[in-house]
Amino acid sequence: MTEEKKPEEKKKRKTATEAASKIGPMVKATIGGTVQAREEGKPIAYSFICCCYDEIIRAMDIVPVWTENYAGVCGAKRDAQRFLERAEAENFSRSLCTYALCGLGFDAWREELGEMPPEPPWGGQARPDMMLGSGQMLCDPRNKWYQAAQHYMPDIPVYDAGAPWPPYEDDYDYREVQDYYVKYIVEELKGLVQFLEKHTGRKMDWDRLSELVDLADRTWNLIWETYELRRAVPTPMGTGDAMNTMVPMVFMMGTQEAYDFYQELNDELKHKIANKEGVIPDEKYRLIWGGGLPSWFALSDFNYFNSKGAVFPVEVTYRMVEAIYHFDIDLSKITDPLEHIAWRWVKFWTYWYDKAKKRLGSHPDVERLIQYIEDYKIDGIVMHEAFSCRSWHVGLIWQLNLLKKVYKDIPSLILESDIVDISSYNEADTKARIDTFIDTLEAVKSQGR
Amino acid sequence: MSQYFAGIDLGSTMTKAVIMNQAVLASVIGPTGPEHRKLANRVMEEALTRAKLPFADITYVVATGYGRINVPFADKQITEISCHARGVSYLLPEVKTVIDIGGQDSKGIKLKDGRVVDFVMNDKCAAGTGRFLEVTAEGLGVKLDDMGKLALTAKNAVRISNTCTVFATQEVVSKLAEGMPLPDIIAGLHEAIAARVYSMVGRLKIEKEVALTGGGAKDIGLVKALETKLGYSVLVPPEPLLTGAIGAALLGKDIVKEAEKKGETLPRSERRLTEATFFT
Amino acid sequence: MPEEAAGKGLAVADRYYQDYGSRARELKRQGKKILGYLCAFVPVEIITAAGFIPFRIKGDVNEPITKADTEMETIVCPLVRSCFDMSLKGSYEFLDGIVIPHACDSICRTYDVWKYSLNLPYSHLINMPHGTGKPSLDFYQALLGTFRTSLSKFAGVEISDRELIQAIKLHNQNRAKVRELYGLRKASPPLISGTEVAKVLIASVSIPVEESIKMLGDVIEEVRQRGGVPARKSARIMVVGAQVDSIAFIKLIEDSGAWVVADDLCPGAREFFSDVTVTADPIEGIAERYLRKVKCGRTYREMEGNYEEYLEDRFGHMSRMIKDFNVDGVVLYIYKYCDPFGFEVPQIKSYIESKGTPVLYLEDEYSMSTIGRLRTRIQAFLELLGSK
Repeated sequence: MTEEKKPEEKKKRKTATEAASKIGPMVKATIGGTVQAREEGKPIAYSFICCCYDEIIRAMDIVPVWTENYAGVCGAKRDAQRFLERAEAENFSRSLCTYALCGLGFDAWREELGEMPPEPPWGGQARPDMMLGSGQMLCDPRNKWYQAAQHYMPDIPVYDAGAPWPPYEDDYDYREVQDYYVKYIVEELKGLVQFLEKHTGRKMDWDRLSELVDLADRTWNLIWETYELRRAVPTPMGTGDAMNTMVPMVFMMGTQEAYDFYQELNDELKHKIANKEGVIPDEKYRLIWGGGLPSWFALSDFNYFNSKGAVFPVEVTYRMVEAIYHFDIDLSKITDPLEHIAWRWVKFWTYWYDKAKKRLGSHPDVERLIQYIEDYKIDGIVMHEAFSCRSWHVGLIWQLNLLKKVYKDIPSLILESDIVDISSYNEADTKARIDTFIDTLEAVKSQGR
Repeated sequence: MSQYFAGIDLGSTMTKAVIMNQAVLASVIGPTGPEHRKLANRVMEEALTRAKLPFADITYVVATGYGRINVPFADKQITEISCHARGVSYLLPEVKTVIDIGGQDSKGIKLKDGRVVDFVMNDKCAAGTGRFLEVTAEGLGVKLDDMGKLALTAKNAVRISNTCTVFATQEVVSKLAEGMPLPDIIAGLHEAIAARVYSMVGRLKIEKEVALTGGGAKDIGLVKALETKLGYSVLVPPEPLLTGAIGAALLGKDIVKEAEKKGETLPRSERRLTEATFFT
Repeated sequence: MPEEAAGKGLAVADRYYQDYGSRARELKRQGKKILGYLCAFVPVEIITAAGFIPFRIKGDVNEPITKADTEMETIVCPLVRSCFDMSLKGSYEFLDGIVIPHACDSICRTYDVWKYSLNLPYSHLINMPHGTGKPSLDFYQALLGTFRTSLSKFAGVEISDRELIQAIKLHNQNRAKVRELYGLRKASPPLISGTEVAKVLIASVSIPVEESIKMLGDVIEEVRQRGGVPARKSARIMVVGAQVDSIAFIKLIEDSGAWVVADDLCPGAREFFSDVTVTADPIEGIAERYLRKVKCGRTYREMEGNYEEYLEDRFGHMSRMIKDFNVDGVVLYIYKYCDPFGFEVPQIKSYIESKGTPVLYLEDEYSMSTIGRLRTRIQAFLELLGSK
């Protein structure tokens, strides 16, 4: 999501890869596409990313409006404040998820006017025919946001698909409960299909769905393999770019376009590695973005890191795939598409549990960090605490404490701001923190740890 | 026999007192210090002097504002929300929405037939109050009283992204250093406050006529910024700082009239004005 | 039994409220095991059936949050943070374990922080779903089965159906007592103040259910006999919010000149007004109550019928209570960083106002320093109600 040029704004942010630089126009086209779909009367659904239903809506040619994405775009273009203020005027607390506040403020305004608010970023957020929420451990706004939006669109139906995963516990292994988790998810997805059939008048093409599920599997593997290329020294791609290249992963999963994009990226990275082309010529510090969504209006901070010789070969955020062939079950044997999706989901979220059981006092989230730190030769860890997001930004302090306890003492930095609300961002302070962190990294390096 | 009613508005920044019968007979405005009790006393005495009345002639005293608990000679304490509403509906009967911007807080009040039907307050965050302008003015090296005038000479208001007063001050100082014109920056600050206030008051579903009161109403730049946000002009009473005190006095009058109708005797404060001076 | 000491009824409640956890400490010394839990969504019946004492972990509005910040982010619900802070400071050192429900993000996303920091012998997350459809109910039953197995292991003995049914009946009895207590608030003026009720209910979730039943019974009798409290109040207020585990806010309203006669709170009407139906498989009845009967913003109720009917389904109980208890005004008291309730504010406010009752919406940060600031708003609201 590159920033658009505005009189008082900075120049276009430089990306390390060609692939990443294509994303801005791709997103713009997608959003424009939803507005056009609205005009053409195609069925449109407000949707959340990573909810198990990508292939399902694609198989039925339903056009998704990724409301989180739209809020991110408003944030990146630094034009979210007026929507946040409108949400506040509606009596929503400013401490709530700012994606939701932006979306709700936009919807309230659009419904009041009967048309898009003035000069909406990239054409605006199209009025949906249905809204697809999700009940899961991931995040409360996923089952509250669209319910709240019904206050402005009481005629629009909502379906909440539950998609939980087993927690990591000491007194039982997750495999003892995975069966009933999968059963539940399958039932919820069945209900979703029925809901979609009812509200679009279309029937699910199960063969097509199976094909798309298979395509998604292959895309998962391809993404994983592609991102693993970034282990190279110097690394050919950083988190700054990854915050762009995640777009097909989370907004286009189940499409050939997404697969092709990662194939191109894969080729590009291989080419760069062959020529020893890194994100920056003189790579001094390799960092992991260990948690938290980025500030969409401040992606240029990654360039600031770069200017100090720091790169991010790996991140946890938006790396929502694992290699399917690494799962402990053979997913290819599960031919029913809904069961397949459910198993893939559960296996993804429990992927690091076994590793955690092998190290005393450890935890899956920390194991993931440790693996990446070793594989990608990481010197330090950066996390971002976005004040309005409890799902991704709670537990960061504790993870760092635990990491240092069970693994080793590693330089760390926690940045504080928000995903969309720019009034929380203090550029001078952020840069100062980054500078101090770089000093720490340098000190540790010169001690030859 | 003539009845006189007194209203004291002990705000966080300014203290105001009025004495009324049919109209305002005397009014006093002064800065609030830390010693509320002594101050309330002094202000009341000053008002009495100007009205040429002894304290004994005052029928009823109502205290309002942040420090209303510290007016020992008041017969009743009523919140500034009810008092501003009463004062504005007396001065400008056609008003349906009141926006009050004070030194350390701001409020929105919705009126129907002169009564409060809804309200919102911001008293925990400086952005959206006079304090925001005070601190940023100091940071820019500009006199607070000049801020409004300067804002009006702006060509292109600068967008201030930080709402935190401390961060915003940093932001404008660096923008000034970058060479952005001072009036444009100041206009941007006014817009920032107007946006915060507008968002807060928006919770009430704003209806015309809209009145602006408090110290903020004396800043012409802020008045204009709010009018731009609203899309229409606002009414400002002749002395916008006094609406609370006037309302307080009038509510006192209402209470007395109500009691007379019912034939009840009203409980009155036991402290007489002279006693208050013995308190520290 | 805790006899000896001063009085019964209100005096006992006061003692347990002021020295929260004192009874649990006593019982621990006698060899009982205490399981701490957050939120009214933990099925305490299962804990009681296992022979443990369920103990509601609460925060402290008078205690600034300090220790918690070293482990837990400040963007978490302030009540959860305060609970965690008190735990770290040793207020609940008698706990043998914690049971945490998937109530909301603030509670479930901090589970690991609780587990690893407190390092108690037992901890369990009940991953309660958000939906209320049949698949969700089945799933929830399976989860409760897992909890039952896990708790049985810790107890060293199977939790039998018989014991479960016994526990269900006890907790139902307890809830019936609370409803009886609430009946005393309908009078004008109410026979018991909101502050007293809050104190009693908060005390009740810190002691074994049998003792709670006795205490409530004593309170009801005492209140009936003492005659009314002095009637000098202007309005009858209902407080709607998540969890209020301190009398501070209720007292603030009542000190400003009103009665708090009704609520949709925990502990409060939300927590005590619906019972578990005793079913052949007792887990079924438990699952049904906690997932479907308790109406809280964390649960996503599926829409049946049109939108108006949907609002009635979600909030109708509030308007019925307003009628039954003759409520003049509603105070919507929501903590900052609260998603389940924060998202519902416009709908709740609009729903209640459409039925003709004014609503005051307050956002608070769960601390005496912020509660005081609400005084002016509450007073202004009462003035508004008075001028109607």
